[in-house]
Amino acid sequence: MILMQTGAIFLDAYRELNAKKLFWITMVLSALVVLVCAMLGINKQGITFLWFELPFPVNSDMISPKLFYLTVFTSFGLGLWLTWIATILALVSTAGMFPDLIASGSIETVLSKPMSRTRLFLTKYLTGLVFMGMQLVVFCSGFFLLLGIRGETWQPGLFLAVPIVLAFFSFLFSVQVLLGLVTKSTIASLLLTLLFWLGLFGLNAADAILVSVRAASEIRLEDAQESLDNQIAIAERTVDRMRGKGEPIPGEADEPLPEGAANTLEAVNERIPRRAESLQEAQDAIPKRRVWSDRIFIAKTLLPKTGETIALLERNLISDEELDALMGDTTDTPEQFLGTMNDPRAQRRAQDIIRKRSITWVLGTSLAFEAIVLGICLMLFARRDF
Amino acid sequence: MTAAIDVQQVEKMYRGKIHALRGVDMRVERGEVFGLLGPNGAGKSTLVKILMTVISPTKCQGTMLGKPIGHKATLANVGYLPEHHRFPEYLTGAQIVDYFGALAGTPRAERKRRIGEMLDLVGMGRWADTKIKQYSKGMRQRVGIAQAMINDPDLILMDEPTDGVDPVGRKDIRDVVRTIRDRGKTVLINSHLLSELEMVCDRVAIMVQGEVRQQGSLDDLTEPHRRYEVSFVGDDQSAAALLAGMEGVSVEAGIASIPTEDPNRIQPVIDCLRASQIVVKGVRAYRPSLEQLFLDAVGEDSGPGAGPNKHSRMHMEARP
Ligand SMILES: Nc1ncnc2c1ncn2[C@@H]1O[C@H](COP(=O)(O)OP(=O)(O)O)[C@@H](O)[C@H]1O
Ligand SMILES: [Mg+2]
Repeated sequence: MILMQTGAIFLDAYRELNAKKLFWITMVLSALVVLVCAMLGINKQGITFLWFELPFPVNSDMISPKLFYLTVFTSFGLGLWLTWIATILALVSTAGMFPDLIASGSIETVLSKPMSRTRLFLTKYLTGLVFMGMQLVVFCSGFFLLLGIRGETWQPGLFLAVPIVLAFFSFLFSVQVLLGLVTKSTIASLLLTLLFWLGLFGLNAADAILVSVRAASEIRLEDAQESLDNQIAIAERTVDRMRGKGEPIPGEADEPLPEGAANTLEAVNERIPRRAESLQEAQDAIPKRRVWSDRIFIAKTLLPKTGETIALLERNLISDEELDALMGDTTDTPEQFLGTMNDPRAQRRAQDIIRKRSITWVLGTSLAFEAIVLGICLMLFARRDF
Repeated sequence: MTAAIDVQQVEKMYRGKIHALRGVDMRVERGEVFGLLGPNGAGKSTLVKILMTVISPTKCQGTMLGKPIGHKATLANVGYLPEHHRFPEYLTGAQIVDYFGALAGTPRAERKRRIGEMLDLVGMGRWADTKIKQYSKGMRQRVGIAQAMINDPDLILMDEPTDGVDPVGRKDIRDVVRTIRDRGKTVLINSHLLSELEMVCDRVAIMVQGEVRQQGSLDDLTEPHRRYEVSFVGDDQSAAALLAGMEGVSVEAGIASIPTEDPNRIQPVIDCLRASQIVVKGVRAYRPSLEQLFLDAVGEDSGPGAGPNKHSRMHMEARP
C-alpha cells in the first residue's frame, strides 16, 4: 500500500511537470549542453569548436585533452550549468509543487486518504529531489562518456556530482518548500528562494573577502615580527662588535642613552622603535578583523554552504598539482579573484583556511540546516487546518 | 454492527476565534442516505472535514465505521467528495479516478476494473480520456463522485454534490446516490439545497450556527407538524367560537387546523361548521415540507428583530 501510494505520487509529480512541459525540456537541455561541450576540442593549434578554430592561446601541448575536458566539466558543466542554470530551472520547475498541493480544493482529497501527513509531505519532497537527481544523472552520464571518448580518461569520480549537487539543490529546495507552505504562492516562494540564495552568495563573497583580509593582516603581522627580529639581531651584532672593539656601549656602565632610545638595542639601531610600532599596529588590527570573520563564520555555520559544497567536488576531481597548472585559467571564483589583488602568500593562506574547513563541517552543518527547515515544514504541514 | 458515524460533542474553534461547531451530536446508521442540512456557514463542511482528518477538531468524541475519528487507516474504506474541489487539470477523468484510487490503497488490478465501471455509473464513460480542464462543472462533480467510489468504500461523504450542477445533472446525481445506497453503502450528503435532500434522504440533521437543531427521519421530524386543514367561507371569529370546545383546533385566515392524522377526528369539525351553515371549501392533509421544517428550525431563535437568521434564510435558495 505504501509503495502504491508512493508510486502514485511520483507518477502525479511526473505528469504535473510534464503538463508544464518542464520535465522533458530540462532533460533535453541537459543533454544538449553535453553535446555542445562534446563539440569543443583541443589540438596542437588551439581550441576548436566543430571544425572552427577558436582564438584562445591554449593548445594541447600546454594542457592535455584530459585536463581540458575536466576543466570544461568543472568550470562550465559544474560551475555554470549545474550550479546555476540547471538549479534555477529545477527550482522553477518545482516551485509550484507545494503551493499547488495545499491549494484549497486539492489538498482535501489528498489528506483524506489513508496516509499520514508526514509521509505525504516527505514523499512529495522526495519527488522534487528525484527530478533534480534524474537531470544530474543524465548530465553526468553524458559528460562521463564525453570524457571517456574525447578526453580518453574514464572518470567514475565525476558521478560524485550527483549526490553533491543534489545536496546543494536540496538546501535551496527545502527553503523553497518552507516558503511555499508559508506564502502558498509559487512566485513568491521562488523569488524569495532566489533572494535567499543571493544572500548566501553575498555571505560567501564576504567570507572570502574577510578571510583573505584576515590572512593578509596575519601575514603583515608575521612580516612585522620578522623585520623587528631582524633589526634586533642587527642591533645585537652591532653591540657585540662594539664590545669586541672595547667601544662604550650606550645604556651600559654609566654611558648615557641617546634621546628617544629606551634601551641599548634601540640606541644602536634607530629602526627598532619604528618596527616595533608597526608590529603593534599589525597586532591591534587583528582582533577587529577576527571579530568580523568569526561572525561571518558563525553565520555560515548556521546556513547551508552552497559554494563550499560544490568546491568539495572540484577538490575531488582535480588534484592540487593539476589545479596549480590551471591556476591561470580559472580565476572567476571570488576567493581567487580577490586573492590575486593581494599578496600571493595571503591568497594561498586564505585558500588554505577555506580548504581546511572539513567536509563534515561543510556538509554536516548544511544538512543540519536542511533538517531543521524540513522539521519546521512538517510541523506547519501536519498542524494546519486546510 | 456499529453506526457508520456516531459523534458527540464535536467542537471546532478556528484560529481567529470563529466558533464553527458548538457541540455537535450526530449519528448516521449503516446503509442509509443521511442529509446534513444547513444554511451556508452553519458548519457542515467543517464537520465533514473533521471526519476526513482534513482539519483537526478542538474537541471530538465518537467513531466512524467503528474506529475513532482521526484513525487514518479507516479512511481506506471511506469515499469523499470535497466541496469546491479542484482536481489536477492535466489529468483525464480516468487518470483522476486512478490516482485517487491508488492513494486510497486500491490495488492496481482492481482499479483497472473499477475505473470504467465507476465512470459509467456516473455517466462519464464517454469522457474518460478527456482532460478535465475541458469538463463542465457538472462533469467534474460526476468524476468527483466516481473518484470517491473507486475504493469501494462503505461510507461516502459528499459535500454539496449538486453545487453548480444544472437540474438534469442534479437528477442524475440523485439517481447515482440511490444506486449507491442500493448497493448497501452509507451516504452522507451535505447540502443547503433542501428539495434535493428531501428526495433522496432517509434521515436528516438540521444544522444551524454550529449546532444540530433537529435530527431524524423525515417522518419523525414532520410528525408533530402534521395536521388536517379545513378551509371555509366565513369569518374566523364566529368559526373559532363554534369550535372552541374541540381540543387542539385553531382557526386562522379561514382555515381550521386539526393536529391529527386521523380523518375520523375531523368529521366533528366539519359537522359543526356545516351545522352553522358555514360553507366548507376544502379539506386537506397537511404535511410540512423539509423546507418548512428547516425554516422553523432556523427561525426558532429569531424572535422579532433577531437579525442574523434573516441572513441564514437568504442563503436558502439554490445558487444559480
Ligand atoms: N479555514 C477556516 N478558517 C477560519 N474559519 C473558517 C474556516 N473554514 C470555515 N470557517 C468558518 O466556519 C464557519 C463554518 O463554515 P463551513 O463549515 O464551511 O460552513 P458550511 O459548509 O455549512 O457552509 C463559517 O463561519 C466559516 O466562515
Ligand atoms: Mg460547506
